[in-house]
Amino acid sequence: MQSANMLLKRIVRSSVLPFAAQHGMKKDLFPLSRTLSLSLCLKQDNSCSPSEKLDLDAWKKVMKSGLQEASETVSEREELSSAAAARELLEMWRLAGRSVPENISDEQLKTLMECPSKSAKKKYLKYLYIRELYKKNDKRKMDEKRRRRLEEQEEASKTSEDRRNSFMCVWANSVDKAYSWRVAQSMIFGQPLVFDMSYENEMSSREVANTVQQLVFSEGCNRRCADPFHIHFCNFKEDSLYHKEFIKHYREAWGKLLITVTDQCYTEIFPKDKLIYLTADSPRVMKTFDHNKIYIIGSMVDRSIKTGVSLARAKRLGLETAALPLEKYLLWNSGAKNLTLDQMMHILLTLKDTGDWKKALEFVPKRKYCGFISRPVHELKKALNLINTLKLKKRQEEVRKQFAKSYSKKLMQK
Amino acid sequence: VQPPENPLQADEWNKLRESFRSPEIFEEVMFNNMVRCNSPVDVAKSLLTHVAKRNGDIAYNLLLKYLALCVQQGQTSEICDVYDIMKIRFRILESGAYNLLIRGLSNSNQWRRALTILEEVKKITVPSRTNYESCIKAAGHHQEMNLAFELYHEMLAKDLVPSLDVLQAFFDFSRGMTGAELQKELFGILLYLRENQIYPHETFMRSIKLWFESIPGGNWRGHLTSIKDSGQCPVCNHQLEDSDLTEEEYNNLRERIIRDVIHGTDTFRKTSPQEFQAFQTFVENRLPFDIVIDGLNVSHIKPRKMQCENLFDAVNSLAKENVRLLVLGRKHMLINSSNWRREIMKEMQNKADFFFAENISEDDAFLLYATLRSGKHCKFVTRDFLRDHKACLSDSLTRQLFRKWQRGHQIVFSPSPAFCYDSVVQTTGDTWHMPYKDTYGEKYSYRVPRKWLCLQQKL
Repeated sequence: MQSANMLLKRIVRSSVLPFAAQHGMKKDLFPLSRTLSLSLCLKQDNSCSPSEKLDLDAWKKVMKSGLQEASETVSEREELSSAAAARELLEMWRLAGRSVPENISDEQLKTLMECPSKSAKKKYLKYLYIRELYKKNDKRKMDEKRRRRLEEQEEASKTSEDRRNSFMCVWANSVDKAYSWRVAQSMIFGQPLVFDMSYENEMSSREVANTVQQLVFSEGCNRRCADPFHIHFCNFKEDSLYHKEFIKHYREAWGKLLITVTDQCYTEIFPKDKLIYLTADSPRVMKTFDHNKIYIIGSMVDRSIKTGVSLARAKRLGLETAALPLEKYLLWNSGAKNLTLDQMMHILLTLKDTGDWKKALEFVPKRKYCGFISRPVHELKKALNLINTLKLKKRQEEVRKQFAKSYSKKLMQK
Repeated sequence: VQPPENPLQADEWNKLRESFRSPEIFEEVMFNNMVRCNSPVDVAKSLLTHVAKRNGDIAYNLLLKYLALCVQQGQTSEICDVYDIMKIRFRILESGAYNLLIRGLSNSNQWRRALTILEEVKKITVPSRTNYESCIKAAGHHQEMNLAFELYHEMLAKDLVPSLDVLQAFFDFSRGMTGAELQKELFGILLYLRENQIYPHETFMRSIKLWFESIPGGNWRGHLTSIKDSGQCPVCNHQLEDSDLTEEEYNNLRERIIRDVIHGTDTFRKTSPQEFQAFQTFVENRLPFDIVIDGLNVSHIKPRKMQCENLFDAVNSLAKENVRLLVLGRKHMLINSSNWRREIMKEMQNKADFFFAENISEDDAFLLYATLRSGKHCKFVTRDFLRDHKACLSDSLTRQLFRKWQRGHQIVFSPSPAFCYDSVVQTTGDTWHMPYKDTYGEKYSYRVPRKWLCLQQKL
């Protein structure tokens, strides 16, 4: 009983208050704590005359007022287990206003303690913190939505009680069926698209999780497409990290997906001369989408920019490679040329449908490029060089002369 | 918000708080600004008093900010008070508070308390470099050199890299002190610079010089100088070490280059097994070379000139009697184009051996292999810093070997030839030679300093 009391006191004192102060909510908590720990001091202070000179060290008295109880807690202190100590340290960091999550599971704590360096720990904590924020926001929004829906329903039930809304439900269901029908068709007649699942050793577990997330997105947009691919997951090992992550996402639906999953390599399933490995490192640039070829995408998220990993795979198997013509159509701004798997899926689907590069490359993230190239590339490059040299004020005169020369030549030709 | 200049009464604080647009974070923002403006502690105290009376408690982050203010102004007694209060209120503190406490106390006459706090930090985490350095400086400042060195070794044992600042402090504090043990420790620091190929900056160099000259009965004299290209010190005529590796180091480096740089995790990433095999037999049949040239790199030296002309000039200037050259390139150089004229390529192939790699292979890895295979005398020509290849080597020791070898064997065309001496702190017992950089933080990591401190002992 006594220890429970103590716990209550500590919680009230050390965690609730700053939390409330930080987040600026739950103001109703303040009076509780005030009455709990400090009523005595307050009374004393109020008895003093207000005109008295300001006592600058009064706060120390207030803070030390809990001395007796506190010394008990000190004597109570035992050797903490390392996990508990880490938890307490986290709590202190949170009080100090650092980006650390409020709740942390034992598993996450274990991962945290296994981080090799201080900065790795900091990064992991920040990641957990941000995820927690997102979750909280999502939950808040969901709650709001539910509340609103309930209110609406109440109103609706007041106005027309006999109306049923099973209509929506039936519609969604039938659309699902139509999608499945189409994908089933593609599994018989459609063009195959291979995801190479042999990169698990190249990735950290977080990268694998990201990969699977992107694959789930890809599968989703393929399913909703008018003319889907027949998706193959090749080199897929049972009980691999990929598999575990997929089950986390799909649960029971994993067994019912309309895709082909195999532990065989693509070279065993398809003729070699029909395969094209898509990799940003490829020296060959894709010109058109070929409906008779089988494209391979490496299922790899690469945060540390390991160049040439997928190119090496293709080289080893002697496959043809290709890269998207990003340079040719886009004025590249910044960022790596490797795209996410779902972006690749979108691009390939659009190409398959329309063959229009401009439309397909709309799916490249906007931040990565400045705009589409309408004029021939070499002319633009010349202009860009000119701008750069003018900016640097290097060989300015020379460049201007050359430009004038080539310009006059062009005029003469005309 | 501008912090007030004088302590305020509770109702005045209240008024300020209510005029602020988000009163919940008023205290936090106010304290931040106080730290920024370095307000008097009394103002901060009055705010704390106000908060304490209103809430009955002061949040940890406010205490922390008050502590930062006290540390900033060196208010030792306040720091101790805050520490006591924090100890009462919280079971453990976190690293931010410990950092501030150690920094604050180590600069005061209470510096021994900083040491006990350091012990506390050790219980929850590994103390940071600055934690150790504050304590070391405090100990050094109070002439407790043994304690300072004890902490220094402890810090090294924890893989913390000391800043040049604290190393310099050791020399400053030890000036004029006697003791063989102390001398040994300081020589140890100089050897640490040597092993890690760190160059002291000018003020650090002066501290070293003054310490040497202050050793009682040591008779050391220091001179600032620059070393001749032959590697001889103009002051004491001592010949500096060359940058040759020992036989064992050399073999070790070669093995590691083949294993980590060329093969790595997957041979196909940089080349292919067939190609590497072909290259190996090519090199074995023509060994040894004297100079290996990175053809594509050299061909870009002068951007106005045709690429093969650049290469041609380089080959011509290096080709002397009995010098065996190897030029590495890629297959696309063989195709007649505006940049690569077939006639010139033909002519060059009479003067040097050529190996053409696939267009998607990495020629740098071949460059390293051919040079290392040819023996210690062999040099290589490229402007590339080879940092990506150095990064492929897995441990720092091999990386240092690589750097040392690179310093002695790389010819960077236009500015400088390879050094025939090694720019590193070195000693013969009665002489010390140390390269130093001009100012703090100048120097690019690839550029070695040309200025030296020569120390010699007159017996």
